[in-house]
This record gives sequence, C-alpha cells and structure tokens, in this order.
Amino acid sequence: MTRTHCPYCSLQCGMVLERTGRALEVQPWPEFPVNEGALCRKGWTAAALRGHRERLTTPLVRDRVSGELRAAGWDEALDLVAGRLRELRAEHGPDAVAVFGGGGLTNEKAYQLGKLARVALGTSQIDYNGRWCMSSAASAGNRAFGIDRGLPFPLADVEHTDVLVLVGSNLAETMPPAARHLDRLRENGGRVVVVDPRRTATAERADLFLQPVPGTDLPLALGLLHLLDAAGAVDEEYVAARTTGWEDVRRSIAAWWPERVERVTGVETAQVRQCARLLAEAGKVTVLTARGAEQHAQGTDTVLAWIDLALALGMPGKPHAGYGCLTGQGNGQGGREHGQKADQLPGYRMIDDPAARDHVAGVWGVPAASLPGPGRSAYELLGALGTDGGPQALLVFGSNIVVSAPNATHVASRLDSLDLLVVADIVMSETAALADVVLPVTQWAEETGTMTNLEGRVILRERAVAPPEGVRTDLEVIAGLAERLGSPVVFSTDAEEVFAELGRASSGGRADYAGISYDRIREEHGVFWPCPTPDHPGTPRLFGSSFATPDGRARFVAVEHRGPAEPTDAAYPLHLTTGRVLAQYQSGAQTRRVAGLPDGGPFVEMHPMLAMRIGAYDGEPVVVTTRRGELKAPARVVSTIRPDTVFVPFHWVGANRLTNDALDPASRMPEFKVCAAAVSA
Amino acid sequence: MSTRERIVVVGAGMAAVRLVEGLAGAHPASHQVTLLGDEPHPPYNRILLSAVLEGTHDPAGITMSLPDEVDLRLGARAVEIHRDEREVELADRTRVAYDRLVLATGSIPTLPPIRGLVRVDGRLDTRVHAFRSLDDCRRLDAAVPAARNAIVVGGGLLGLQVARALGVRGLATEVVEGGDHLLRSQVDAKAGAILARDLGKLGTRVYTGARAVRLTDEGLVLDNGYVLEADLVVLTAGGRPSTALARRADLDVRRGVVVDEQLRTSDERIHAIGDCAQHGMQVTGFVPPAWEQAALLARHLGGEQVAYTGSRNVARLRATGLDVAVLGDPERAEGQVVEVSNPVTGTHRKLVVRDGVVVAATLVGDLSRIGLITQHYDRGTVLGPSEPGDLLMGERPAGPVVLPDDAEVCACAGVSAGAIRACASLADARDTTRATTGCGGCAPAVRQLLAQRQSPGPALGTTLEGTPR
Repeated sequence: MTRTHCPYCSLQCGMVLERTGRALEVQPWPEFPVNEGALCRKGWTAAALRGHRERLTTPLVRDRVSGELRAAGWDEALDLVAGRLRELRAEHGPDAVAVFGGGGLTNEKAYQLGKLARVALGTSQIDYNGRWCMSSAASAGNRAFGIDRGLPFPLADVEHTDVLVLVGSNLAETMPPAARHLDRLRENGGRVVVVDPRRTATAERADLFLQPVPGTDLPLALGLLHLLDAAGAVDEEYVAARTTGWEDVRRSIAAWWPERVERVTGVETAQVRQCARLLAEAGKVTVLTARGAEQHAQGTDTVLAWIDLALALGMPGKPHAGYGCLTGQGNGQGGREHGQKADQLPGYRMIDDPAARDHVAGVWGVPAASLPGPGRSAYELLGALGTDGGPQALLVFGSNIVVSAPNATHVASRLDSLDLLVVADIVMSETAALADVVLPVTQWAEETGTMTNLEGRVILRERAVAPPEGVRTDLEVIAGLAERLGSPVVFSTDAEEVFAELGRASSGGRADYAGISYDRIREEHGVFWPCPTPDHPGTPRLFGSSFATPDGRARFVAVEHRGPAEPTDAAYPLHLTTGRVLAQYQSGAQTRRVAGLPDGGPFVEMHPMLAMRIGAYDGEPVVVTTRRGELKAPARVVSTIRPDTVFVPFHWVGANRLTNDALDPASRMPEFKVCAAAVSA
Repeated sequence: MSTRERIVVVGAGMAAVRLVEGLAGAHPASHQVTLLGDEPHPPYNRILLSAVLEGTHDPAGITMSLPDEVDLRLGARAVEIHRDEREVELADRTRVAYDRLVLATGSIPTLPPIRGLVRVDGRLDTRVHAFRSLDDCRRLDAAVPAARNAIVVGGGLLGLQVARALGVRGLATEVVEGGDHLLRSQVDAKAGAILARDLGKLGTRVYTGARAVRLTDEGLVLDNGYVLEADLVVLTAGGRPSTALARRADLDVRRGVVVDEQLRTSDERIHAIGDCAQHGMQVTGFVPPAWEQAALLARHLGGEQVAYTGSRNVARLRATGLDVAVLGDPERAEGQVVEVSNPVTGTHRKLVVRDGVVVAATLVGDLSRIGLITQHYDRGTVLGPSEPGDLLMGERPAGPVVLPDDAEVCACAGVSAGAIRACASLADARDTTRATTGCGGCAPAVRQLLAQRQSPGPALGTTLEGTPR
C-alpha cells in the first residue's frame, strides 16, 4: 500500500495505491485534507496507463534513410543526442540548444532540467508550458503582493468565506473534488458567484451567475469596483494601512459606470448591481481566478483588476478571505519555482539578480559568471526554433506542444524546421511522433518525487510499482545527457537527494523549500512554502500581517481595458473560446489512452439560436474557421453558452490550430480564451 | 521640447478626458496637452450626477483620472480664438498658443419659454434649477431637504433620471412633458405610456401634452390650467451645442460645429468632438459617441489613418425602478420591426432589423438579453430570420425530465441513471458505482433516482427486475 497523489491536475488529490498480484488499484485516502478521499474518474482510472499497449519501452531514433523511427539502445540514443548537441553548440553557440519543460514535472525534474540547461548546456533557452497555465496570475501576484503563490491559504478556507467569486473557473469539471468545498460553503450560509461565458457545471452551483462576453472579465471587475466605491463599501482603514495606489485606481474606475459595463461585457446592469450588493454586504469575500480570466493578451491586467477589487474590500490577509488563483497543471505551482522558467533560478529567484546567481551557482559548484541570462518565453521560444539565430535543437520533457500551443500549425512547422527534436514521454504523443529521438520514461507511480499543489503545499508522490523494462526516469535521462555533454558537475538521479539540493538552492529565495524533507511531508500531509528551516512549521497562510513587497504593502494597480487582440468582424463574427472537459486532462496524451474515460473527440458547443442561424444540428459536423486554421467537429447544441460565442475543448489536435498567439506583455501568456471565428454547417 | 506638438483642448468634460487619455496611451511623448476647463472642479463623470443626487453614488467617487503630464487649467474660460496667431484667449485676457485646437465645449441647457423663471433682477427664481454641472447638482442637492415637492420640466432621459432621484429622496415629484409621451425623441407612444404608468406606480405623476407657461408664487402653471405646487423646478428640457466660440471664430457652424471624417472643422488646425460637434446631419448629445469621437481623434492626432463615419449609440436610463434602453434611433431607422408589447406586464420591446442586422431597438420594462442584443447591435451581427423574434422571447421553462438509463448522472465517476437504479441505497450506490464521491454534485439526482425507484411513479423510465415495487 502506497500513499501518493493523483497524476493529473493541481489539486493533487491524495490516493492510496494497492497492489494485488499484478494489478494496481486506486483506493481513497480519506485523511488527506484537500480531497478527503474524493476523486474524479480521472483519478479512479489513473492506474490504467500501467502496462498500456501504447507504452513506450525502448528509445526510438529516426532512421536517416527510411525516415521512420526505429528501436535503439539507451547508449546509442543518448550518445547520438549528446553528440549532435555538442556539434550544434560548437557551430552556433550554446543558445542553439533549447529545452522545453512542463508543469506536470515533479519539482526535482523541473529543478534538474533548469540546471541541465544552465550548467550542462549553458543555454539561456529554456521555458515550459506553464506559461500557458497561470503565468498571468503569477505576474499579477508578484506585482500586487510581491509573491506568486496560487492560493495564499488552504483551499478548505473557502468553506468559511461569505461570498466566493469564481472568475473563469469551471472547477466542478476541471477539479471535481474541489467542488465539495463550494457545497460546504453554501451549507455554511455562504454565497457563490460564478463568472463564465458558459453556464458550466460550476455555474449550476452558483447563487449568482454572470455570463460576460469572452475577454471582458477586466471591465466587469472595474464595474463592480465602481459600484462598491459608489456605495461606500471600500475598506478605507485597510486601504490606508496596508496598501498603496488606491487613488489612481479610484479615479480610473469613475469611467466604468454600470451601463457602460453592460455594453462592453454583455452582462445586464441589474446583475452587476446585484453582485456588487452581495460583495458590499459580505464581511468576508474570496476571489479566485483561473484560466478563463488569465489566458488573455490582457490576462495580467485582468487578474490585477480582480485583485484591486479584493484589496478595496480589505480582504487579502484577512482570515477566510482574499484573492487566489486556481492553478491548472499538477505541478503548475512548483514547476515554475525551481528554474525551468526562462527568467528564473531555483527558489523563485530572478536570473538577472546578481545575488541570486551567486547563491545558486554556489550550490551548483560553478562560477556565477558561467550562468546564462534570461531566455525567450515559451511561445517566443517555439517561434524562434529553426530561424536564424534561433535554437536548432529542442529537448522536450513532459509537454505535448503540438496540441497545447496556440496557433499550432505554425508551431508544428517550427518543430519541423529543427535540426534535432528530442522528446521524453511515456507514450507516442503527437509531439513525440515528430521527434528525431524519442526517450521512454517512467510515469507517476513508477517513480518518486514532490509536487507543489495549488495551495503551495509541497506533497510527495511515492513509487508504488517497478517501471517496465527499458524505461528510465527523467532524472536518469537528464543525468545521462549531462555526463555526455561534459557537465562540470554530477547530476544526482536520486529524487530525495535532488530535493535536498533543491532545498539548498531555494534557501533564502521567495519560494524557500530549505526546511522541507520527504519525512516531514509524509508526517504533516504536506508542507506549505516558504519553509526556511527544519523547525519552521511552513506557511499555510500568507499576508496576515504584511505583504512580500519591500514596504510590506499591497499594490493597487490601475488598469485599462483594451479588449481582445482579435475583435470580431463581418468575416469572423463569433467569439471562440477554448477549455476543458471532465474526462480529459491537458493535451490528452494520457487520458485519451485510458479506456475507462470517454473520448468522444472534440466538439463545437453552440447556442440553439446560433445553430438555427447557420443550420447546424446537434451531433452533426460543423466547421470552425479562424485566420489561422479550421476544425471540423460535431456541433453540441446547448442553451448554456452565450449565443455569440462558440466553445471547443482543446484536449485534441485541432482546437489550438484556431487559437490566437497574441501574447500578454507581462506574462507572455497567449490569448487562448478568445479570438474571432466563423462557423458553418 | 519645441518639437512636441501643442494640443489645446477647450473644455474638460467627458469627451476631453477621453481624448487626453487616448493621446497619453498612444503617443505619450509627442504631444504637450493643455486642458482648459471653465468649471472650478477637476474633470468628473457628468453622467453620474443623477446618481449622486439620488444618493446611490458617493460624490467623491466621480472624479476622473487624467494623465500626469496634462496641463489642466481650471476656471479657464476661453472667450476668443485667434486663428491667425493660433492662440486661444481666456476670460482673464491671457492667451494660450496651440498647434492643434480641439473644441470639446459640450452643450448648454436651453431655457424653456416659461414666464417668471427669470426674476426682474435678471437672475433665476430661487426655486428654479438647471441640471448640467456639478455645481447645479450640489445646489439642487442642498435644496432638497427643505423642499416637499418638485416639478421636473422635460420628460426626456435626463428628466426621468432627475425625477426618479428626487422621488427616491422623498419629494413629491411631478414631470411635465410638452410632447404627447415621455422620451418622445427616442421611443414610440406605447413605450412612453408604459413608462408613465411605471413612474405613476413609483409615486411620480406625469403630465404629457402639457406645457408649463408661467411660474408664480402659487406654483407652476400649465397651459391646460393646472397649477402645480413647486418648491423646486428642475429644467431638463433640451440643450443645444455650445458653439459661440466657434461662431465668433468664423468656423462653419450649423446646429453644431461642422466636422469632417477626421473631426476637423473648417479650419484644419481646429477639431471638434462631443456634444458641440456636428458630423453630417448628426449632433449626438450622448457620452458613447463623444467617446468614440475622442478615441478616434486621439489616433488621428497620433498620425494614424482613421475616418469617423458616425456612431452607434445605446441610451440607457439610469434610474432606480425604471428599465429603459434605446439602441440607435428606433423611431426613424429604416427596417422591419419585430415587436413584443405586453401592457399587462408593462413591457414593450422592439427591434428594427435591416438585412438581418439589428439597426435600432427599444426595450422598456424588460431588459433581459439586453447584454446580447447590444452586442449584436454594436457588432452588426447578421442574424437568422427567426432570431430577432427568439431574442424577444423568454427562455422556455424546462419540463420534468425522465432520465433514460444511459443518461450520465455522475460525471466524476461516469455513472449512468440505469446503474443508479440498480442500486439498493445511497450507500450501495456510493460503494458499487462511486457516484457522489467526486465533486458531490450528483447527490440530489442520485437520491431522487433512488426515491423514484422505491415508489411507483410516472417518472420512472424503466422497470427493474427483481425489485419490489
């Protein structure tokens, strides 16, 4: 019996894996507080990929003559990769090699990947798919609070708030066990407000549902703030004592009267007023954003607007209240703290900060001057592949880029132009299928490592079964490459050892893990960072007495609405938004291969009025077209979506051929959640 | 410094604020902007004045932000434009030089022909109020506590807002409208009648087709012989573009200052935006078109190629208890009219549709779907033939649903209605199917299915073998 956590989303539900004979069975772990034994069907079926017939168990190398992938030995594959990387580095310089990581990788892997790039490859060109996850909330959190931790409190705290506002989160489908907290909140007399262009399963549990046009969560927040200020609901004492910048925000919201908000957002003024009343009358308000608010070219500003609202009400730092972000990927939080982000070193240190470079270089045993500077962000990195001055080789760990990147046709053509594409994965994902070398790695239950869940709680996934013959852990792959590349330092392959090194590297940083150990995690149901020393209890709740800014005050930031990067027009008259369904996870490389999870393929959700207009019938194919591509999929006609909007889930190839690659200037987040589209039957 | 273009804006109202915001956002370094405001207050949101009067808006919260680098001069009234010297002369004789001049002088209220409004000393009777500026609002606000009743002259949007505000403040309020129905320049008689009735229910009497002719010590005398007691008389009947400055400078002025597609007047160095401007035959009088013009002019002054071709306006009544939206000009727009009117419930809604596009609309008493209708209107969405009608129909209530056996009840665990029906109890369902153990959202449906299974009812879609009924 092994206590571990689900392989999928950021909730990282606790579960028990039981071995009976050859079978591996998922059982509840009721004592783990985040999910209390509850799981969704993705969790219950998580063991199904073990022994799956599509599991990769031998390295594959593309044959120069036939162009087909053929089986190869590990030494052959790694020698080939390292040899080619050395040649490219010699020819074009170290930045000719790029690394692309993932928000599903353990902390240990993310850390080693960053170290591989900076120490063994000497490249600045490393980033990861977490840019497409919650990076907008991260940059907003840093700006407003001086720190980026998704939730500054345990998730269960929401049960005791008075009004919970969920902006662009469909947690009842994306992390179902989290919805239990909503139900308890309502049993306790609290209210739930859901903001979403679709009346989702989450919205069905709301006391008030606001259905804005995609891309207008920002003016909605400003409009609410306008009404709260008008009603005298601003907590002036808190604003004076704990914040700066309110007057600027106050003057900027004078222009967002309710009727203007209605015209821009499509939300009736009566509902905006009703929401403002709920907020004004509540003693404790919690605002949580997710991808719906964040995946925009103005994602950072949108989150800042909602943070402004929470600050004006005096909530952040108050018990059972405040602002938080619901991270998406399993290790979306930890994955960005330890150095796979282009501009960061372990412990959430900035790579251009000399003190940070000195500290980390000291832990790594290399001169600080040898560390490269900041590199390109995820989408910009992919866009530069194979171009003059761009990377000529790419190593991919834990990401299925051709499904998950925006404007995917363009990204696939960039991958095609590479001299060398190496993909480490457990199955032949759509990206692995394009690779020159595919490296089969262990999955989840076959390896040990830590994750940091959406609450900033560091948890431990423990190895429950032996991996199949022929696969290696990512840590072994990284170490094998580092050695062949002539790394000046040795890379450990023992997860606990790597975690201890990570702790030292993070020590004194914003995300300080120095006091956390595997044993403590086991004993304490996880440990919240920052935790600087072994006798430090960890930090479940932040901001109680001060914020992580130099003066300890939170920052109000005045923001202005610019609207979607690609407005609708006569040729593309509809808004296209994308998202998730319950039974699938991210690019679906894992979940689409689980027999127990329904896989109906992509669909185009639309309102009956729109279906009638274009002559579409439920279940019959329609074609969605944008300036970047088209997708043919069955219509799903439902009255729960705005009639001016269509929705396509992105777990399959296709949706992201449509999406817009306009980037947020601060977070470099692409605008996944809105672009202009046409639909025909 | 000298290379920066000097842009001088006459007026510091809504349009002017929007303009300088646009200039700061797009090309912050290339201009030096001076704002000449004749009021003593920093720019404020004029359209919130009725909410301030009503008491639903904190007066301190209506001040609008200006970019730091703007030179804002308050109490600076422009009296003359010296076009040859490119200078504006102020009331205090000082002059301000410009490279580009923007007239954003707004409109001024017109005084209706009522005898007795102006006293022999040339000042307004103390009972009489205008409602245009912050000072007007403050003066009226201060007079409310001592008053028992008020007459609002003018049944337009502003008049109704002021009437509701005074009603909410506890005054016995009456509205006098010379036309045959309320909001006569925006809506038809049916809509106007519904509004008059709604106002009546809220305690405000409406006199339509009646003109005020004289103010006496007894009150306001109407042309039908009524005398209405009046502690306060608020004039909201009409305004006209403020064009005196432009006229004196010999610019082309008709109803407003005439502008072209680049919002240029007959002098290419002088532009005009907002209520004072006339584009084609149009003088707007609303904030949204003024803001569109301001944003467009900011881009033009920044060197972009732009052309103003007119605005789509949405006029919304901001008054507690009255629901009115007017999109475009529904009484004059050409097109087919799709209309749903229900005097019983007090709703009147009509869409004017041309080639599938909503070109104008009136919504009174029921604003459901207004968020969608304005989106269609603003974006010029081409609708299907039945869609305008569907937009005006309510959502159909869903009937009771009998779930077929293969319908999914628990999405978290993937459990069908049939599988639940095969269970003996909630505990059984939990253990054998894992339904209710994920998000917990299906618990009511599961309980209902199990309950229906135990009592023979019409809702059951299947019979289970071996189950006692």
